[in-house]
Amino acid sequence: MEHGMELFNFIELDLTTSIILILVGFVGGMVSGFIGSGGAFVLTPAMMTLGAPGMVAVASNICHKFPKALVGAMKRHKYGQVDVKLGLVMGVFAEAGVLTGKHVMTGIKHSFGAVGTDLYVSVMFIITLAIVGTFVFRDYRKLKNMSEEEQENVELTRIAKWVQSVKIPGTMFYSHAAKSELSFLFLIPLGFATGFLASAIAVGGFIGVPAMIYLLGVPAIMASATELVIAFVMGLGGTIFYGLEGAVDIRMAMLILFGSLFGIQIGAIGTTYVKDYQVKFTMALIMLTVLFSRFFYIPGYLSKLGMIAPLTADTAQKLKWIGDGVLYLALFVGAFTVISALLKGMKEHREQQAVLARASAAD
Amino acid sequence: MASSHASLGKTLFWGGLTAILYGFLFHYSDEFLRLAHTTVDACVVQKGVGVDYYHNPIPELCAEKGGTVVKGTWWYVFAPIAMAFALSYTHGLFTGLFWDVLGLKAKK
Repeated sequence: MEHGMELFNFIELDLTTSIILILVGFVGGMVSGFIGSGGAFVLTPAMMTLGAPGMVAVASNICHKFPKALVGAMKRHKYGQVDVKLGLVMGVFAEAGVLTGKHVMTGIKHSFGAVGTDLYVSVMFIITLAIVGTFVFRDYRKLKNMSEEEQENVELTRIAKWVQSVKIPGTMFYSHAAKSELSFLFLIPLGFATGFLASAIAVGGFIGVPAMIYLLGVPAIMASATELVIAFVMGLGGTIFYGLEGAVDIRMAMLILFGSLFGIQIGAIGTTYVKDYQVKFTMALIMLTVLFSRFFYIPGYLSKLGMIAPLTADTAQKLKWIGDGVLYLALFVGAFTVISALLKGMKEHREQQAVLARASAAD
Repeated sequence: MASSHASLGKTLFWGGLTAILYGFLFHYSDEFLRLAHTTVDACVVQKGVGVDYYHNPIPELCAEKGGTVVKGTWWYVFAPIAMAFALSYTHGLFTGLFWDVLGLKAKK
């Protein structure tokens, strides 16, 4: 590798690759609409599987998301679910996190090339998905065993109660989502961490949404809606920061957008037909599968970077195939779960309506 | 019936606009690539049909490869941003209408 000059092409886009990107976008959109946030975690690995360097995958993912986030935020603001102030304050600190994270990514690219960014993004993915996937899975198990009423009345956590009780003069603002005054000092680490993670894997909601729910005491629906404001701010900033490094591939971003906007509606409508714990199960399942797929690429990256003994071409190829296969399995599982939940729910709904119609006709 | 005709008309309109924008993007995809890569300083090497782009160009190394050093133009960064906004708007409207026309609706 020449020190200084780095070859940095975007991938060739033939018909097959383009169709795959559209389909991946479609599934990513469905999953995103269904679980409310972070459906994009299938998109970054998918782009990397197609050959895009980690940094370009992340940058292009961020680029396709931020206008969608704005549209989503505006829609949900109409339903009263968005706390604009909270979103903007966290957005500002998230921006600082994005900028810092982008510096880390660019530094890695400069010292280790595109492959270095592949390894960095994959490791960040593995850590994040492992923590969040396990947490969501445990949450799903808990919810499934609770009764309907208990699910409605999940209380504020102790931490959230404490955070809401802390008053630091000169730093307070009213959050209508948390229905309490909050000190913006709490938002600094949360916002920053959200932004830093987003700059590494293009998903910040994994920190932002749970943090708002469990640490600030914001109801889940408002947390995911407010997250859209943060995502827009981070996304616009991230696109500019990465764009200024020449890393945004608008072709990939827009192909994904093409499929994603079709899929997102299906996913969102699907949620009206299922229970909350089914959504969480889907989320956990896909996360853990994507996580598993990333493991198979790591030896290849380490070998290319000279950090381990070089792999034979045959071994490297086999590992990549397995990794690709597991990722496509994750996408298939995601698509299958959402579509079957939707179809089943719609069928039951139609049957219910038919029964009701027959009953009232018989009167 | 009148409302579904109106929806179909609107759907086709926004779908048409979206198609035009995508057509523009991919007809000029090489241009967009050039804009993206020359937002920063780059060494541009013509290789037959394709072009290789190197970041952090070093003039001597670049010359060795038969390429030209191009100075970065920072405001090229707005090209992908403008495209993303435009397509999100038109395609967002189109897909919403599309599913509506097909009868996919939320459970009340």
